Amino acid sequence: MTGTEPLGGDQGDSVDIKAEMRSAAEAIGKAPKPNTARMTSDLSIDEELVLHSIGWEPVELVSGVSMHSVPVGVWNWGQGEISYASAAYGRSFANATERIHDQCTKAGGHGVVGVHVEWTVERHHIDVALTGTAVRPVGAKSLGSDPIFVSDLSGRDFTLLHSAGWAPLGLAAGASFVYAPRRSMGDTMKQSGQNVELTNFTEAMYAARESAMERMQTSAINLGGSGVVEVKVTEGPMTFAHHAVGFTAYGTVVRLVADKHRNLGARMVLPMDDPTSTFDASSLRGA
Amino acid sequence: MAVPSEAPGDLPEAAVRRFAEGAFTSGLTVPDFAACLQMGLEPVGFTQGYCVMQWQWYGSSPMGMGGGFGSQWGGIRGYSETWNCPHGFVSGEHRSWGQNYEQAWVEDAWTTGFSTAYDRMVEEAASGGAHGIVGVVDSVQPLSDMGVLEFRVQGTAVRVTDGVPPADGRPWTTYLAGQRLTKLVEAGYAPVSIAAAVSSVRVWANCVTHYLTEGSNSMFASATAGSEITQTVTAQTVARKIATHRVRSQLGHDSLHGAALSTVQRELGEGDAEVECVLRGNRVRRFKEFDPMPAPRPTVRML
Repeated sequence: MTGTEPLGGDQGDSVDIKAEMRSAAEAIGKAPKPNTARMTSDLSIDEELVLHSIGWEPVELVSGVSMHSVPVGVWNWGQGEISYASAAYGRSFANATERIHDQCTKAGGHGVVGVHVEWTVERHHIDVALTGTAVRPVGAKSLGSDPIFVSDLSGRDFTLLHSAGWAPLGLAAGASFVYAPRRSMGDTMKQSGQNVELTNFTEAMYAARESAMERMQTSAINLGGSGVVEVKVTEGPMTFAHHAVGFTAYGTVVRLVADKHRNLGARMVLPMDDPTSTFDASSLRGA
Repeated sequence: MAVPSEAPGDLPEAAVRRFAEGAFTSGLTVPDFAACLQMGLEPVGFTQGYCVMQWQWYGSSPMGMGGGFGSQWGGIRGYSETWNCPHGFVSGEHRSWGQNYEQAWVEDAWTTGFSTAYDRMVEEAASGGAHGIVGVVDSVQPLSDMGVLEFRVQGTAVRVTDGVPPADGRPWTTYLAGQRLTKLVEAGYAPVSIAAAVSSVRVWANCVTHYLTEGSNSMFASATAGSEITQTVTAQTVARKIATHRVRSQLGHDSLHGAALSTVQRELGEGDAEVECVLRGNRVRRFKEFDPMPAPRPTVRML
């Protein structure tokens, strides 16, 4: 399978699961074949199977970490953007991405899927850690001509994207931390006891949002992408600095690689029963 | 069900009696239980292994570190890297020396606790004549407030209908159960065992790491504020690599499936930190040639 066929193929013949289980149990007592390619993966069995269905396989668990310092005092006094913090987030994200990319290259992967993005903003440092599974077309021995991608899409979403004729190109991120100026004494007294909008915070939030989204978009354009999917945003005040607000955004940059978008031919289903747990073990190849 | 005559002598008497009483116990959910029966796995009993470890970070030696104070210079096992101050002597309070080193005594204690609990669970299952253990769940948690950690590993012992017992008498284990285990087997993988490893790296910050972690713009911070905190990043990276390497060494020619990597960084002040990384997953063996699964059909639910 080349991975370009639309999804929804023949379900094939059913298998005898009990016989399969007996064969598996017998294999455990025997020595493994020495030439078996071994892999490490944090994908679920569902994700791995769905990747296999389009001709891809996991290779190795990979990760990248970065942590940048934020100078003392920048959170509390000033105006406009807290550029040290915004830059620290951007550089941490970029370095962590570069490192997971390098590990993927060394492992022989063509890209990384299912990347877990963990980031924390502390008063004096901003940390980013990325962990995911390097993947490649089944049996591929060398790197392909396409650039290696890093994506936080799950195995299922990667499969859908791939089948629709699109390709992930990398992670794009943007962040902005903005100082919400204190109100004047007069404004504070005038607004005391009233339910009114605090425009200093609203404006700071808008400023942070625009900068962060623009940075993410610029990053996507630099990667040659035509869009970003699965964008995750966070916004809000810093717990350690009440007059600073932050906005972060990241997602996977995608580009259409087929001649045109392919319709997946999704079928409408109308479940006639109440939601229930799957009860019986059944073959994935049909009844 | 008869208790095998070779039941280990140190198994609690109550456990031997429980296995011999005829009714099985199981930690499986009803769907997982039904799926296991469907694939020819009969529950034998709910098996558990415990190990409670005293958790003294510096071991039993006078100042610990695996061999007494100062042993980090001469006796550290595994990773160690020195981070010297670029400024020369400045003052007595200046951190003119820094080091990252692997805390082997912490790793050894964790490995002892985990593997002892695991072995006890497996031993209990073997005594009941089980072929494997499915749906394994493990946890590590403080037991009361005494500097004590409890390692717990539990799962449901099963027997393969008409199957052959394990050659070495040691049941196979997996975190999976039910439909997920069915899919794994149908995809051509046999569950061999769970695999888990820990790594622990201590960051003894030098002056630059100290200043950067506290955001200081000290005139002695050779790296300007806003720079990458290289010493801590290196510790994080190495901790992940050690845990991964350790699990890979348990795999032989097998693979690791469904891995979970968790990292905790404890900041100890002035740039010092401790990074602990735990990697666990299912060791699986391919028992039949790769057989592509049918492509799934995308559907859109109307509800």
